[in-house]
Amino acid sequence: MAKRITIDPITRIEGHLRIDCEIDNGRVTNAWSSGQMWRGIEVILQGRDPRDAPTYTQRICGVCTTVHALASVRAIENALKLEVPLNAQYIRNLIIAAHAIHDHIVHFYILSALDWVDITSALKADPKKTAQLAESLSSWHRNHVQEFKAVQDKLKAVVDSGQLGIFANGYWGHPAMKLPPEVNLLAATHYLQALEYQRKANMIVSILGSKTPHVATLVPGGVSCAVNLESPSALNTERLFYIKSIIDELGDFVRQVYLVDVCAVGALYADWTQYGAGVTNYLSVPELPMDTKGTVFRLPGGYIKNGDLKTYTPITSYQDDFFREGVKESIKHSWYEGEWTKHPWDETTQPRYTGFQDQGKYSWVKSPSFYDQPAQVGPLANVLCMYAAGHGPTRKYVEQALGLVSKLAGTQVGPEALHSTIGRHAARAIRCAVLTEELNVQWQALMDNIAKGDLAICTPYPFRPGESRGFGFHEAPRGVLSHWIVIDSNRIKNYQAVVPSTWNAGPRNHHDALGPYEASLVGNPVADPERPLEVLRTVHSFDPCLACAIHLHDPRGRVLTQVRAL
Amino acid sequence: MGQVTLLGLGNILLSDEGVGVWAVREVARRFRLPAAVEVVDGGTAGLDLLPYVEDREHLLVVDAVQFQREPGFVGWLEGEEVLAGGGAQASLHHLGLREVLGAARLLDRAPREVLLLGVQPHSLATGVGLSPCLQARLPAVVAEIISRLTAWGYPPLGPAEPGG
Repeated sequence: MAKRITIDPITRIEGHLRIDCEIDNGRVTNAWSSGQMWRGIEVILQGRDPRDAPTYTQRICGVCTTVHALASVRAIENALKLEVPLNAQYIRNLIIAAHAIHDHIVHFYILSALDWVDITSALKADPKKTAQLAESLSSWHRNHVQEFKAVQDKLKAVVDSGQLGIFANGYWGHPAMKLPPEVNLLAATHYLQALEYQRKANMIVSILGSKTPHVATLVPGGVSCAVNLESPSALNTERLFYIKSIIDELGDFVRQVYLVDVCAVGALYADWTQYGAGVTNYLSVPELPMDTKGTVFRLPGGYIKNGDLKTYTPITSYQDDFFREGVKESIKHSWYEGEWTKHPWDETTQPRYTGFQDQGKYSWVKSPSFYDQPAQVGPLANVLCMYAAGHGPTRKYVEQALGLVSKLAGTQVGPEALHSTIGRHAARAIRCAVLTEELNVQWQALMDNIAKGDLAICTPYPFRPGESRGFGFHEAPRGVLSHWIVIDSNRIKNYQAVVPSTWNAGPRNHHDALGPYEASLVGNPVADPERPLEVLRTVHSFDPCLACAIHLHDPRGRVLTQVRAL
Repeated sequence: MGQVTLLGLGNILLSDEGVGVWAVREVARRFRLPAAVEVVDGGTAGLDLLPYVEDREHLLVVDAVQFQREPGFVGWLEGEEVLAGGGAQASLHHLGLREVLGAARLLDRAPREVLLLGVQPHSLATGVGLSPCLQARLPAVVAEIISRLTAWGYPPLGPAEPGG
């Protein structure tokens, strides 16, 4: 007899997500992913000046402010055929890379490590043995016995106080927790360090974006932060060298701690390379443009069909027809008026809630498709596409990661292991390492360009009568983000954002094919339906971001998370 | 680095959900504040807010709160009450205020005093701007903020410069 469980909402994610699973003999046999929010940004923007779009779209979500601003300015630039000065591209690229590094570090340590790491087990670890283990894995300068002892004492105090705070949503002592105490202490120690380093990454975004959250310097046509090496009020030599010092620190942390920890956890949970593949059509877009038109990129992107790297088709520019023509969204299973599949430029957004129907409509998220197929987006899609494109740094870190995993697991693990729940974590860490190198490349490109005497930062905004259509894409931390805009005489006529979590968390599509979350859960083990940790592991591996549940404080501290096993 | 952070939270795309942001913006618009007071529009951010709360003498958060009272009701939450509610589950955010404060505490850099000024919303519909009911209550919310800053020893230096 199949058992049905509902997890609503999934915690430690961005926004509200409800997952329903049917479980038979300890395995998931069917799944539904339901976004429990309605975004409505498209409705808010209609009739406004396009230059307001970056400001408003940043408010869709707390984590993804920067990425929406960027996709938004790119969509406007595409519609109005605006070129972007080189300095602005490099500054944006620095913001993109730093923001993604911040996001990836936060995702692994703060949002998903507790699915794999048992804090209470870390209390039983021997700090000396932990230090020996750490030294065998990495040359990180903060892996010493005093630091591990200090963190263990701190964790004891937290657990004894009963104020678990940030650790409150873990499944401690669950039978699926398998790490030895020393590895748990190692990861917990790096959890605390990750809090420091994510802040350093964000500092780069603050300096170049003039503030966080909600960067203020991304404008259609370029950036609004003046560059002048001598001026105290512009981006000057002192600021740029301060940024450089942060870049170096981040590189060490990502390559010596984050990447190593992910490999260690992955090797000890090697069975999780067998679960969670789901949809293996992978879509990503090229990123870090190096020219004013968006035709030359540091990081490749494209499309892979059915997990076969030989099918890789690159997406090559901001004018690429292959991307523009391929994207459609269906609302057959979403709470909107009608039952169509349309191109984003032609869509409407009319909410109509009709309750949760397994076979009918059951989500606020629309269902995107690429040439009629569901596609997975995110760091895994990005890394596989870059790997297929022969991108040097990506190949280097993939080989490094798989080499370490193979050594620790005592068996040869190849790139095929990446198509899995744990593979998504590995790909995110690999991408993060690639981005730390890119920070250096972009920083040097900016310095060299300024040294040439080029101080241009923005192309003036033109007024174009009549209708213009544009799209802007960005390889965001969670995958492909695209904004689609229709402008009519400097007013927004239509606006659609097709966000990464829509690709991944979308419901069944117009052919009733399962979305990536849903497909990845089928076959997932579940030891205890009352504590479905394994379901969270697979869902969290995508780094869900479904912003916009309502955030109200409830002074009575009501617990809203319900796991109902029926 | 200020000793006091005045932090407005909320989503300004969901009408009264954004009351905290509108309130702190109004304070910044009307008053010249001492250099030690930093006004932050936190939106719905999570860990991005860590640098604004760490090592502060006082943290004053303004946000929409479900008091189960009439729209426009204004109330205070203190210390543990702030940590008890508004966490991962009740938040727009996987990392709500509770997690930010929890992270600061883990790093031994928690603010010495945390107060949350809550306002009961009337409408959470999609749209920018407050409902008339809450718009009318905004001066009272601002007055609460100013009297709290004054009690902490950081009264406004005067009205804001026009156009400033």
